[in-house]
Amino acid sequence: MKNLDPNRAKWIKIRMGILCGLMATGLGTVVSGAYNIQVEDGDQWLDLAERQRQRRLHVQPKRGTIYDRNGAPLAESVEVPSVSADAVEMLRGVEEKYVAAALLRNSERIAEALHLSMEEVHEKLSRRRRFVWLKRRVSDQEVTAIRALGDKAQRYPIRGITIEGEGHRFYPNRELAGPVLGFVSPDGEGREGLELSLEHELKGHASELRGLRDRSGRLIFSDGVDDEQALAGHNVYLTIDKAIQFTAERELDAALKTYEAVGGSVIVVDPSNGEILAMASGPGYNPNDYGAADPGNRRNRAIVDRFEPGSTMKVFTMAGALANRAISPTQPIYCEEGNMAIDNIVIHDTHISKWLSPTQILTVSSNIGAAKIALSMGEEKLYETFRRFGFGDATGVPFPGETIGVLRPAKRPWVQVETAAAAFGQGISVSALQLVMAMSAVANNGRLLEPVLVKRTTDATGQPLVESSPRVRRDAVGAHTAKLVSEMLVSVTEGEGTGVEAAIPGFRVAGKTATAQKIDPATGKYTDTHYVASFVGFVPAEKPRIVIAVVLDEPMGGTYAGGSVAGPVFRRVGEMALRYLGVMPKGTEPVKLSELSQIARTGADQATNAYQVMAEQKALTQAVVTPSAPLKGGEVRLPDFQGFPIREAIKSAKALGLLPQLEGTGRVTRQEPPAGAVLPKGATVKLIFEPPA
Amino acid sequence: MLLGAMATIADSLPRNRHAAPEEAPRDEVAKPVQSLTALLKESVAGPVDPVLAAIIIALIGFGVVMVYSASAIEATVRYKDAQFFLKKQSIYAAAALFVMWISSRIDYRRLRPFTYPILIGVAVMLLLTVVGLGHKAGNAYRWLNLGPINVQPAEVAKLGVVVWLAYSLSKKADQIKSFSIGFLPHLLVVGVLMLLCLKQPDFGSAVVLLFLTFTLLFVAGARVPYIAAFTMLMGVAAVGLVRFSKYRYDRYLAWENMEANRNDLAYQPFQSVMSFGSGGIDGLGVGRGLQVLYLPEAHTDFISAIIGEELGFIGILCLCGVYLVIVARGVKIAWNAPDDYGSFLAFGISTLFGVQALTNLCVAMAILPTKGLTLPFLSYGGSSLVVNAAAVGILLNISRPRLPRELPEKNVKAKLPSASAVVATSAEEGQW
Repeated sequence: MKNLDPNRAKWIKIRMGILCGLMATGLGTVVSGAYNIQVEDGDQWLDLAERQRQRRLHVQPKRGTIYDRNGAPLAESVEVPSVSADAVEMLRGVEEKYVAAALLRNSERIAEALHLSMEEVHEKLSRRRRFVWLKRRVSDQEVTAIRALGDKAQRYPIRGITIEGEGHRFYPNRELAGPVLGFVSPDGEGREGLELSLEHELKGHASELRGLRDRSGRLIFSDGVDDEQALAGHNVYLTIDKAIQFTAERELDAALKTYEAVGGSVIVVDPSNGEILAMASGPGYNPNDYGAADPGNRRNRAIVDRFEPGSTMKVFTMAGALANRAISPTQPIYCEEGNMAIDNIVIHDTHISKWLSPTQILTVSSNIGAAKIALSMGEEKLYETFRRFGFGDATGVPFPGETIGVLRPAKRPWVQVETAAAAFGQGISVSALQLVMAMSAVANNGRLLEPVLVKRTTDATGQPLVESSPRVRRDAVGAHTAKLVSEMLVSVTEGEGTGVEAAIPGFRVAGKTATAQKIDPATGKYTDTHYVASFVGFVPAEKPRIVIAVVLDEPMGGTYAGGSVAGPVFRRVGEMALRYLGVMPKGTEPVKLSELSQIARTGADQATNAYQVMAEQKALTQAVVTPSAPLKGGEVRLPDFQGFPIREAIKSAKALGLLPQLEGTGRVTRQEPPAGAVLPKGATVKLIFEPPA
Repeated sequence: MLLGAMATIADSLPRNRHAAPEEAPRDEVAKPVQSLTALLKESVAGPVDPVLAAIIIALIGFGVVMVYSASAIEATVRYKDAQFFLKKQSIYAAAALFVMWISSRIDYRRLRPFTYPILIGVAVMLLLTVVGLGHKAGNAYRWLNLGPINVQPAEVAKLGVVVWLAYSLSKKADQIKSFSIGFLPHLLVVGVLMLLCLKQPDFGSAVVLLFLTFTLLFVAGARVPYIAAFTMLMGVAAVGLVRFSKYRYDRYLAWENMEANRNDLAYQPFQSVMSFGSGGIDGLGVGRGLQVLYLPEAHTDFISAIIGEELGFIGILCLCGVYLVIVARGVKIAWNAPDDYGSFLAFGISTLFGVQALTNLCVAMAILPTKGLTLPFLSYGGSSLVVNAAAVGILLNISRPRLPRELPEKNVKAKLPSASAVVATSAEEGQW
């Protein structure tokens, strides 16, 4: 500043110095501010920042799949887009006085895009939360519409809307095994059935997820969690076989419709290892649409419901008596001609008899006989026998809400009349699963197993984790006793037995019918109108492959006896299951096709009468009708089955190489195709039975 | 824009000039020169201040690194190219260094004839921005689209005002003490520019313009009572402006109660402070900061927050030290300037850097409410970087040792100064 006079220049410099001092003060403020923030409070800020970026993660690991024993999926998770909103982000930069208007406008547009009501959207956004679900499981069109709303190119893009994939549970077979599988809530939590009890295996590990997210919610994974399969839930393979399950459900539904029963269940068990091959509970429901289903139908009746079993308990009464040597296998018992009074209570038999062998007591299902056997054995032994067969105990099945039944309703030992009633299954209650497992014990040389519903568990990559193995609970009775009882039970499905309709042609079926009276809840007394009809049995009797329990609650319309209501269900399910499992019927050694037609021709030549009723005849080939045209090899002419009882009709049809399809009970009244039709071997013949007038 | 202005200046400079500065024409435009290089060679007096030049170049380079660190995620998300902002900032930095080199070689006194063209040009650009040719970013019209580049006129205005004030104040000399000549005209002109800034709206730039004006008026010797009175008046006006503008008042309230508004209006300052705090004493390391995920404008106005996070308190301390050295060198140049024009110019430019850096740091630490001011030489943005580089160039040019004015008067032969003469000059100046 040499152009200025020195004094002025000096003052200019002084004033510059003053201003420099001011700026230095400012610098001091900055440094002390930085010291406070960074050195004094640094840790707190860092903590806050870390919490901010590791905030709540909405990524759900994929829920494991539930397969049947052969790997067919029964329940699987699929990614379905869901829409959520960050209301704070949406309203950022909007002045407070315009917030209400912005909310209304956005709500209207979002509601339109998602087909929701505007009030609902507005209410959700008004809470101004950082996260709220707008709509879960949206369609592709809705995704497109929402994307368009957030498009930055338009004039008023809506911010803060996120579309993310969310696991949605899908049941590809709809109703199949619905009550067994249960369902999953929209939050991804198992709510009922196996989805609930296997929650731990299926769910996966959400808590192990650590990630970073930025301010718009984009997720940036940090340390080594790119392997999503490590987080995914385990896959579960059930022992259920889809095909047998399907048949069981179909037959159960047909029976429920035919007899107008309020409910029922069918369980198919492999007695050698306790694996449950099918477990049907009807009426069922579709877990894909569980909200629309009657909650009563969502329960798995086979495990959750208890009922008075009735005569099926005689099997275990008998087994106990034989094991305890209370009776000998051949000892005749006087059955009081149908009436026996104990303590003012009269026990009736439907089949009035005098002397009956133990086998006959089972065959005709004598209450008096069973009561006498029980009384001769004593209360304590009977109770213990039932306990040994697993009644009054949890079976060990991994299923929520299992009932253990009630053996001693008064919580004290039975008095005499109660012991007598318990012998034929009244006054106590059991579950269908307990019943089928107890019968499995009889089929399995007296050894009681734990029911197995989960065959194996694998991780998401298919690596096996847990493989189930049979678990023995105890030996309920000795193997010899079990064999003895098995043989007795075969007579139930033969000849005069109550369970002839459960008989499967070509196999010896061991089983027991039951028609238990229900207590009317209004009066507290047994009614004459409401029954639980059931059949429990196994086949083949000499080397059991399957045990089936059929329970029908309150069959109506005159037919309610266990033999005629539950028996046919047992037969049809058993027949299918045996064929499916490749169990050959006795006496069906492979025969050459040419020989078969030869037999048919010979039979045709011998026949003279076109309308021959052959009720007693065992020689089946003679039941064949007149020929009108020569038959080629491998073809048969359909005889007239009119008037045949069920067993004869089945036998003659099978002998011709035809597959009979049976409907109704009694004797054949109609058939399809009509008599005289020429069919190839292996074709189906529909036979309609009606009880004789 | 500025490059253009520089070229115009270069074209209009006289062909032959002597080392003696007072021989240069004061208010008239001289004959154009034939080549720029010839001019540049001729106009060099002595070496520039090496400390200042080195620090500025280093700071610009550091800025490019920090812009990359702060913008990589944003660039990846928006442009699918992590280096998007890095590339642009590198080009800006190269342009800035070039501008700095050129302007450091043009004698600052040659700026005088262009004072008014620059001032009017700035005013016109601000006007164009305000009347609707502006380019919107955020919710303010702060950019003017000039063909391929977007210019932020407010950045140019700051330098323009300094240039004009230095010229005007040095010309008015002793009349500075009068209200109607020395005080009011300056305030009126700057007032118009401030209004144009406020209209954008750009409150921060308006405040910086006013601060620069008062600073230079004070330095030049305007009466302190005037300045004090007007400071109070402007203070009241500013309070009114904030209080009766919903947008600004809400921001102010949010800043007052940051914790409660951390999710909406105070989101940015809160995240910025969180960035600083996360850094602790020694920082997370360059490129390791994670607050860029949350902090909007991390690479522009809030780059200091990312520096704080990645380099910690030590880094911020160094940064403050660097700005202190820049301002100190600037003030030293102002003290030693050959004439009052150069002195005012140098001091105005130093103040410009100092005030902007301080305000930016204070805003980033939430000591002041959000303003929208860049951090000189570091923040991403071409206008700010090139204008500041031009300003440094001028400062460096003023720092060049020149033959003392007294020499021709003492009949010393006008010749290029020898090294010993320069030393002598420096020694002589050092006595002041």
